[in-house]
Amino acid sequence: MTPVVCATGVELLMDYLEGVLPADVRAALDEHVAGCARCAAFVASYLETPRIMREASAVSLPADVEASLKAFLRARTTAFKCD
Amino acid sequence: MTVPTAEPSDETLAARAAAGDDSAFEIIVERYQARVYRLACRLTSDTDAPDVLQETFLQVHRHLRSFRGESRFGTWLYRIASNAALMRRRVKARHPVASLDDFLPRFDARGIHAATPAELRVVSHADELLDRQFLAEKAREAIAQLPDLYRDPFVMRDLEEMSTAEVAQVLGLDPATVRQRVHRARLMLRGCLSDLVGVKP
Repeated sequence: MTPVVCATGVELLMDYLEGVLPADVRAALDEHVAGCARCAAFVASYLETPRIMREASAVSLPADVEASLKAFLRARTTAFKCD
Repeated sequence: MTVPTAEPSDETLAARAAAGDDSAFEIIVERYQARVYRLACRLTSDTDAPDVLQETFLQVHRHLRSFRGESRFGTWLYRIASNAALMRRRVKARHPVASLDDFLPRFDARGIHAATPAELRVVSHADELLDRQFLAEKAREAIAQLPDLYRDPFVMRDLEEMSTAEVAQVLGLDPATVRQRVHRARLMLRGCLSDLVGVKP
């Protein structure tokens, strides 16, 4: 394969993390990232991104939405009749 | 010997509900309503999510008897919820939004990251550096601005933490396509975080 540069690493990162890359490609990436401070930093931030977005975008179910759901299902099905 | 009563599994509840046991259906609703609402907010909007939530459980109730246990019950229910959200979005045509391509990582002519290690690293701590409320608002905006092609698999895979295989099943895509689209969404959102903390992506 062609020599790995940062751009190659970024392109293949998801496949790398999901374990679907051939062993030689995987080894070449490992070698590049081990010697590249930029890629090491990039990978760390890439890994954190889903967690940050997940925590930041989490919403809880508002009580009024829950009450509307129950009322809706009570009207349209046989459930929630005994509330 | 008394065995502590375990929570009934989803599949047990589904079978009971399909046989007409309303209390089993009510437990299913209690168990999944918050997750379906969160998914609906992430795939549509706060305004549309309550309708998606209602539609989802109405469909679940109607189709319980067709649940054959070929996938996990949660996957089956998520598929219904996702479809309800996608239908809702189709009804309200979305306006084209600004491109997020500017947030993709940049490289020099040799393919080396344009940003410095320090700039690349700081994104890992974006949530510690930014005001919580501000970040929450910006995160929801950024997710809503993703093209649907990337938003749907990203929401399911990374925010709802379904497996790649499950997402592929729900969206009718092959896993390689899911990986490619989730990856692109991650790059765009990572770039949004870079922008929020004021560094190059």
